[in-house]
Amino acid sequence: MADDHWRTLMMAAQAGDTPAYRRLLVEVGSWLQGYYSRRLPSGMVDDAAQEALMTLHAKRHTYDPSKPFGPWLAAIARYKWIDRLRAMRAAPTEELCEELAVRDCGEAVQSARSLEALLERLKPAQANAIRLVKIEGLSIKEAADNLGQTISLVKVNIHRGLRQLGEFAQEEDHEF
Amino acid sequence: MSFDSLIDRLTDDLTPVRRRRPWVDMLTVAAIALAELALLFALGFAHISLHRMMTEPTLWWRLASLGLISLLSGALAIRSFDPAYSPKGGLRWLALIVVICLTFGLLMGGLPGGLASIAVRLDWTSGVECAYKMALLSVPPLIGLALLGRRGAPTDLRRTPLLIGLAAAAWGAFAFVFACPFTDPLYIAVWYSVGCGIVVVLARLILPRIARW
Repeated sequence: MADDHWRTLMMAAQAGDTPAYRRLLVEVGSWLQGYYSRRLPSGMVDDAAQEALMTLHAKRHTYDPSKPFGPWLAAIARYKWIDRLRAMRAAPTEELCEELAVRDCGEAVQSARSLEALLERLKPAQANAIRLVKIEGLSIKEAADNLGQTISLVKVNIHRGLRQLGEFAQEEDHEF
Repeated sequence: MSFDSLIDRLTDDLTPVRRRRPWVDMLTVAAIALAELALLFALGFAHISLHRMMTEPTLWWRLASLGLISLLSGALAIRSFDPAYSPKGGLRWLALIVVICLTFGLLMGGLPGGLASIAVRLDWTSGVECAYKMALLSVPPLIGLALLGRRGAPTDLRRTPLLIGLAAAAWGAFAFVFACPFTDPLYIAVWYSVGCGIVVVLARLILPRIARW
């Protein structure tokens, strides 16, 4: 995230600067697409990103320019993501035809599940720091703000967590 | 709708906005709460022997505890209207403060002496009436905070309603202190907790539906 750049654009947008706002929406829109593509089925990514953009528009008065823009945007994106997940859980599911031609994502799903299983074996502080920085793509500073930890603690947690993950992965290799 | 057309629409709709300022929200809620208190005094709601009760330590214990809880939880609730702020840690501290205030009151002479004496001291018919009045008095700040919450963007829809409920309930109880004739710390600890608890539970159940954005 280009925090200072987006903060400047958002400040201008709050004052009614249309070109700055358009630029902000375009850049944030593509960030949101990346954010949701890592968390939602591909068919829902555009809808979720558009909904988050509309929310950003409706709640733009809640942004305080004395604070970084990244955590504010990430909080809105995350809130809308949880909303989507809740809606997905509530919505009825339909059984898919077995002969439906789809790309085989089995390997990707398998590795995501394995990673999640390994992360669950770490201390929560380490797992959360790795999820935010290494998987969700937040900066160390944003992750520190999100987790309520200091920047150096986030770095230590990531370092120790990754080392631990390596050890877990080696153990699993030996087991096979 | 395509991304480009959405961006066109949002850009066309752009107008300058008045930024949300937490201290303005705090002043608004304080004004609502103080107006309510002034109205209650103007309507003669205060207890007739209030000046005599001023010498009772339990009056000051109630006012200090409820005032502090109301102020802190109100400030935390307003802070939590910022999407990037998590009220988790603050709520934990607040729970500790509530426990300390209750313990302090019980140490002032509220420890029960036996089942029969508890039943007499609790005087449940008066207690229910007190709890009901406290809950009614918490409605104006509750509505004020809920409306401000809707204007903001709270992302923790479990804890923010709890904080709103606690702030409003503590204020309702604070205002009720001036009309309450009871001074027994056990009675106060139990029935004030019941009155505040009802408001907090109702806020936790109802507000997430209203505050969703």
